Amino acid sequence: MENRTFWQQMLLIDRRILYMILFANMIIFLLVPVKVKTVTSPPVRKFYDTIEQLHPGDMVMVSSNWGAGTIGESLPQFEAVIRHLMRKKLRFTILSFEPQARDISLRFATRFTKEGGYKYGEQWAHFGFMPSPAVAIKGMVKDLPATIKQDVKGIPISQLPVMRGVQTLADYKVVIDVTPSGTVSAWISYRPQNLKVLFCPTSVMAAEAYTFLDSGQVAGMLTGAIGAQEYEQLLGIEGLGTSFAKAISFSHALIILFVILGNIALFMSRRAQGG
Amino acid sequence: MWRIDTSTTAGQVFIGLIVLGFLAFFVGMIPLMQALPPRGRRLLIGAVTFLAGAIFAAEFFLPVDKKGENWLSPAIEPAQSTLQIINALALGLGTYGLMRLHLRNIVQKRAQWGYSVVLILAFLAMGFFSVWNTLAEKGELPKTGFLNKGFGLLFDNMYIPLDAAMFSLIAFYIFSAAYRAFRIRSIEASILMFTAMTVMIGIVMLGNIISYSWLGLPVEQTPEMEKNPFSPANIAYNLALPRVAYWILQVLNAPVQRAIEFGVGIGGLAMAIRLWLSLERGVT
Repeated sequence: MENRTFWQQMLLIDRRILYMILFANMIIFLLVPVKVKTVTSPPVRKFYDTIEQLHPGDMVMVSSNWGAGTIGESLPQFEAVIRHLMRKKLRFTILSFEPQARDISLRFATRFTKEGGYKYGEQWAHFGFMPSPAVAIKGMVKDLPATIKQDVKGIPISQLPVMRGVQTLADYKVVIDVTPSGTVSAWISYRPQNLKVLFCPTSVMAAEAYTFLDSGQVAGMLTGAIGAQEYEQLLGIEGLGTSFAKAISFSHALIILFVILGNIALFMSRRAQGG
Repeated sequence: MWRIDTSTTAGQVFIGLIVLGFLAFFVGMIPLMQALPPRGRRLLIGAVTFLAGAIFAAEFFLPVDKKGENWLSPAIEPAQSTLQIINALALGLGTYGLMRLHLRNIVQKRAQWGYSVVLILAFLAMGFFSVWNTLAEKGELPKTGFLNKGFGLLFDNMYIPLDAAMFSLIAFYIFSAAYRAFRIRSIEASILMFTAMTVMIGIVMLGNIISYSWLGLPVEQTPEMEKNPFSPANIAYNLALPRVAYWILQVLNAPVQRAIEFGVGIGGLAMAIRLWLSLERGVT
C-alpha cells in the first residue's frame, strides 16, 4: 500500500465517516441548550405583522400540504402558525391538497388546538383533502360550502359555527400555505384580490419564492425550520423550530468547514505532486 | 346547461344512463382500439386529445360577458372533475398493477419475494386502519381503542418516522457531495462556492453570532444611518452576514429565478402545444 499524506487521505475520506460526523453534530446540537437571539429576517417580520394586523374572529385558511417527509421543516412552521392564530383569537380552517397531508395536519392541529383551548367546529375546522388546487380554489371563490361540502367529520360546513358569515373565499383575510410543493402558485393565481397569501416553504423551495415576495404576491414567508425559529422568537415561545434551527445552523457550519478542508486538501495534494 | 339536477328521480335516472352509456362506450373501445392498425389508433387518440384540450383553449380565448364567462365556462368545472376521475382511475390502476406484480413475486417465489410479502401486509394493514379511521372520523363506524392503537402504531409510530427518515437521508448525501464537489477549480466555481457559503452561514443563527456577537456590527439601522448610506456605521450594518445573505437572495437570486421561470413557462407552453397536437412520440 502506497504511503499517502494526511491531505491525500482527506481527499479519499470514506463517505461513512462523513455521515457519522454529521450525525454526531446534529445529535449534539439538538441536545445542547444553546440560546442565541437572532435578527428577524424581513420576510418573517412581514409574515408576523400580517397576522398581527388581523382582528379577533377574522377568518384564516391554512393550506397544509406537507407530509412526513418534510416534517422537520413543515411541522415547526405549522405549529408556530397555529399557535399564533390561537393567540390572536382568529378563526381558521385547514385544507389539504395532498392525501397524506390531510391526516398529518388533522392529527397535529387537533393536538395543538386542544392545548390552546380551541374547540373544533366553533373556532377551527378541517376541510380534509381536495384534489386539484386550481379547481378547488376557483370553486371556493364562487361558493365555498358548495365546493367543500363537508368537513373531515362529515358535517356539512355550512352547519359549522366557525363558518358563520362565510360564503366565499373572499370572506377570508389570509391564506397560509404550509407546503413543500408548488401549491402557492395556484393560490396566487386564483385567490380573490383581497386575500393575502403567506407562504411557509421548505428551505430548498424558498429561493424560488423570492420573486413572489418581491412582487408583493406573497405578503410574508417563513423559510423552513429557520423561519419557524425566527417566528417563534417573535412569538416568545420555544418550539420545535428553535431546537431544529440549532442543529441546522451547526450542520451548515460543519459543511462549510469540510468544504474548506477539502479545498486545502486538494491544494496541498497538488503541491505535493508538484502540480 | 352542463349540470344535471340529481335531486329529482328523472335527473338520477338520466345521470345513471349517462354513466352506463360511458361505461359501455369505454368497454366497447377496448376491442376497437385493439382491432385498429397503429396509424388509425394514433389518429383516434390524437383526435380525442385535441378535442379535450380544445375545450380549455376555447373557453380561455372566447369573448366573455360582464360576469367574465362565456358559453363554455360552466363546462370547465365538470371537465376538470372528469380529470380528477381519470386521476382516481390511474390510482386504482397503479394499485392493481402493484398488487399483481408482488402477488406474482410471492406465488412464483422470485428473488427477494419476502419483501413483496411485507409490502402486501403493510398495504393491507394500513389500508384497513386508514379506511376505518376515516369512517370513524365521520361517525359511520365506532372509534374503538383497538382502532386508536392500530392506527396510531402504523401512522404515528411507523409511517411518519420512516418517511421522515427517508427524506432526511438527503442531508447526508448533500454533506458528502458538497465535500467532494465544491472545489475551487475555476473563477466561476469560486464565485458560486463563496456565494453559497455566505448564504448558508448568513441565514442561520451562526451568521448572527459572527456578525453581531463576535464582530459587533450594528443590529438596527438608525435614521442617521439611513440619511448617510455611505457612513461607516451604515456600511458596517449592511456587511452583517444575515443582511448580505438576504441581499443575495432578494437582489441576485430573485431576478434569476424570474428569468428561469419565464423560460420554463415558455418551454411548458411549447410542450403543452406539442402534446395537444399529438406531436410527441409515443402516442399509439
